[in-house]
Amino acid sequence: MKETRLGEFEEVILLLVGILGEQAYAFKIAEEFESQTKRVVSIGAVHSTLSRLGDKGFLTSEMGESTAERGGRRKRIYTITASGERTLRDARDFKISLWDQYPAFARLTFSGN
Amino acid sequence: MGSVSCICETHIFWKLNVGIKTKIPPQLAERLLTLFIRNDLIEEVLGDLEEKFYTTAKGKSVFLAKLNYWYQVFNYLRPFAIRKLRSKNSSRITMSRHYFKISWRILVRNKVFSTIKIGGFSIGIAACILISLFIQHELNYDRHYENEDRIFRITNQWSQNGQVNRWINLQGPLKEVFEENIPELEKVARVVTWSWGNTGDNHIRKVNSPQNFYEEGFFYADPELLEILEIPLLYGSKEYTLSEPNSMVISRRMAEKYFPNEDPVGRQMILNDNPDDTYTIGGVMKDFPSTSHLQGDFILTLFGRKFGPGSSGWCCSNYAFYTKVSPEANVSDVQGKMVSMRDTYAIDGFRQAGQTELDEMQEFHSYYIQPVYNIYLNPDQIGDYIDHGSAELIWMLGIIALIILLLACVNFVNLTTAKSLNRAKEVGLRKVVGANRYGLISQYLSESILYSFISILLGLIMAFIALPFFNELAGASLEIPWTSWSLFLLLIVGGVIIGGLSGIYPSLYLSRFRPASVLKGKLSAGKNNSYLRGCLVVFQFTVTIILLIGALVTHEQFQLVMNKSLGYEKDQVLLIQGLETMDSNKKDLLKEELLRLAEVKNVTVGDFIPVQGSAIQNRTFWISDRRQLDPGFEAARWAVDTDYIETLGMKIVKGRNFMDIPSDSAGVIINERMAREFGLEDPIGIRITDMFNNEYQVIGVVRDFYFNSIFADVNPLALFKGEGNATASIKIASTEINRAITDIAGVWEQIQPNQPFRYSFMNQRFESMYEGLNRAKVIFLLFATLSIIVACLGLFALSAFVVEQRSKEISIRKVLGASVAGIFRLLTLNYVRWVLISLIIAVPLGWYIMDDFLGEIKNRVNMSWTLFAIAGLIALGISVVTISFETIKAAVANPADKLRNE
Repeated sequence: MKETRLGEFEEVILLLVGILGEQAYAFKIAEEFESQTKRVVSIGAVHSTLSRLGDKGFLTSEMGESTAERGGRRKRIYTITASGERTLRDARDFKISLWDQYPAFARLTFSGN
Repeated sequence: MGSVSCICETHIFWKLNVGIKTKIPPQLAERLLTLFIRNDLIEEVLGDLEEKFYTTAKGKSVFLAKLNYWYQVFNYLRPFAIRKLRSKNSSRITMSRHYFKISWRILVRNKVFSTIKIGGFSIGIAACILISLFIQHELNYDRHYENEDRIFRITNQWSQNGQVNRWINLQGPLKEVFEENIPELEKVARVVTWSWGNTGDNHIRKVNSPQNFYEEGFFYADPELLEILEIPLLYGSKEYTLSEPNSMVISRRMAEKYFPNEDPVGRQMILNDNPDDTYTIGGVMKDFPSTSHLQGDFILTLFGRKFGPGSSGWCCSNYAFYTKVSPEANVSDVQGKMVSMRDTYAIDGFRQAGQTELDEMQEFHSYYIQPVYNIYLNPDQIGDYIDHGSAELIWMLGIIALIILLLACVNFVNLTTAKSLNRAKEVGLRKVVGANRYGLISQYLSESILYSFISILLGLIMAFIALPFFNELAGASLEIPWTSWSLFLLLIVGGVIIGGLSGIYPSLYLSRFRPASVLKGKLSAGKNNSYLRGCLVVFQFTVTIILLIGALVTHEQFQLVMNKSLGYEKDQVLLIQGLETMDSNKKDLLKEELLRLAEVKNVTVGDFIPVQGSAIQNRTFWISDRRQLDPGFEAARWAVDTDYIETLGMKIVKGRNFMDIPSDSAGVIINERMAREFGLEDPIGIRITDMFNNEYQVIGVVRDFYFNSIFADVNPLALFKGEGNATASIKIASTEINRAITDIAGVWEQIQPNQPFRYSFMNQRFESMYEGLNRAKVIFLLFATLSIIVACLGLFALSAFVVEQRSKEISIRKVLGASVAGIFRLLTLNYVRWVLISLIIAVPLGWYIMDDFLGEIKNRVNMSWTLFAIAGLIALGISVVTISFETIKAAVANPADKLRNE
């Protein structure tokens, strides 16, 4: 069985796939990543991560429609699988439980509410 | 390759592209991407990058977009995206991998067969590697000079009646004659290496220390030798090192031994405790390389040196001459000039020195100059005092190495074709699923190449392990050149050739099988090539028996030499060396003290002994009355004392031995051969004269004894009464040799405490004269053993295979009542027949080869039929034993075990 833990970059990419929905292909994900995080990333790096997430079973993909600005080439659309969603949720829950155990932030959270 | 050149181009293209400002993505980057990216990713990636390009171009600038495109392309150089080389659908690579995999599986499955195939190969390859190293060393002698083509040795040449004789040693004054009158000779140097003066071994000490050390490797040379032979100096300069009387050059190892960590130039050393022989070190040279014909650690200068009476004049030829000629010199011109210089300047000198037959000399004598690199192997057959390599030995060893390798290849062919039945189905099936013959051939070739590479690796390891023993045997100091790339290139090429050679027949044979008949099981146990297999076994055993015959004949010859009655007794004689440091009183004292020991029967002090390491002196003799009439003849002239003949057990046949009376100092004892040479029945009382006009009276005749090689006639010999210098011979009466040595050493210690006791045995020295023969014997024996091993490995595997094939037949025979002996006979007879055929071929061949090898010598061993019979019996015996391992096992096996499962 492959490694199923998520790295930080992987987690962000996975989330972006979910956010973008029908538009989740490598170029869009990279653009979205840059605009959301203000960090520069190459499409190759994103693509590599997408393929790794696919190997881990968190993503599936299929070839989508083609557009003119792509020179008529089709794009590969990624979708989160059930296991991908579960892993994301686990990652979030785990972090929240860690946040809760840190008294300074825990208080902050309560007062915020 | 393609991608590399592409990247270079991109650089240029990129610059161009920037200027043009087209609105499409950079084509070159796109092409680069398609070069390395996985096929299934091309579409989406190109699409993504193009989208990115247009987005950037719109938002920023076309230039930045292009730059970014390149950046994106390089960022796709990631493992997940790069096309896998292996996944490329190349049938050749896939099939090669497949072949090697199958070969490996088969190798591992048939452990015994594979071990035998590889073992035989490795033995052959190890032998080849060792012999090649040896041959390379022998061929590399005197090739280390920068000007090897200009360095020569000057030799005499005597051509008469179509026969040419050449020898070294010229008259000393010729040096000046040649130097001054032949401009082509840039330098001339004389060298004395043979036993004379202080050449050879000496005791040496530093002036300020009383302790003497024994050293070898002294010789005399003119100062010019350093330049002619390009001897590199570590200390001192070539012009001055030998240009003072009594100066010497020592080797680096001697400098390190006696003067560690200092520059020894100017230091003095004394030879043999003799103050007249005090030498000043003028320089330190690098040790002579092992491939130099000239060896030594101490070069004593000839400058200002005067030897015994007249010996540096025109009378006597005592010097080897070396010269360096100018680059444009013509060899035959130089030789011609030498002759005319001899006639102009030297003839008068010869005449005054008392040489006769000068007309003959002018008619037949000339000079021959020999290139330095020919000295060691000596193709010009020049008589000198140097150890020579033998071109014949090189050829012989080379051929033997090749034959052993061939035997190993034969084994491989034999075993592979014998096993072919087991592979026949495989071949059939491969053909059915579409293999063509070419593919099958390359499969079996790659299999044999795999075997040969494994064997080469093993052979290299074997050679490495065996090298020290081989060095001892060959008297060499060889090393495997691990750092040389040519070795590995040679091994790889050799591996392919050997593998290809031995694989070609089996692969052709196997690939010929017809699938239909093979799969029906029509092919029987390789019957159709049993004839060929027989031939190969016969070849192997023929070679083996010839080598065995060689080993036996040389062994017999060696035994004959050792047991030959020589005319003197070589056993129980101890030789003490190093007496040259004693004056004659001390020598007498030593003799007296030694005789007091109970174990000592006799003692004689003398440098002339009938074994290796003896002093040499030859003179021409006449009967006094006929001095002017006869040409005279040359005889060895030995100075001995009164105890000499008795100590060495020689026999006086006429007249008497020397006695302690003054008149005997003009007496001479000659050997029978010399008496015959004089033509005298009873020579006692006859007066004879030597070339210096000394007159002697014959007082006795000693029975001929061998003092040179036993393979030649005994030469004329004249014994004179005289005092010995360096060697004492002691006849030991007791059989407790070790105690005798201890006692003798005790006496020595008392008399000469500052000098180590150094001794040898006469019979050992005698044996070492026949070192060459002994070596030949060991070499024959070694290779006979190797070839027996290889041949037997093959025979063993072959018999095992046949037994396996015929196991059911054997079982049925047993059930029907065949005896164990009967079955053994049935299985063995075939091989015995092959060995007998080999014997019939090998005996005449072996006889011819050994007859040629021994040549025309005296005391030659009689090659009787028993020798050949023994060789045959050994071969037969060993082969039967080899076969019986498997056949007996098969013959005594319970037939039920084999037949039950039917």
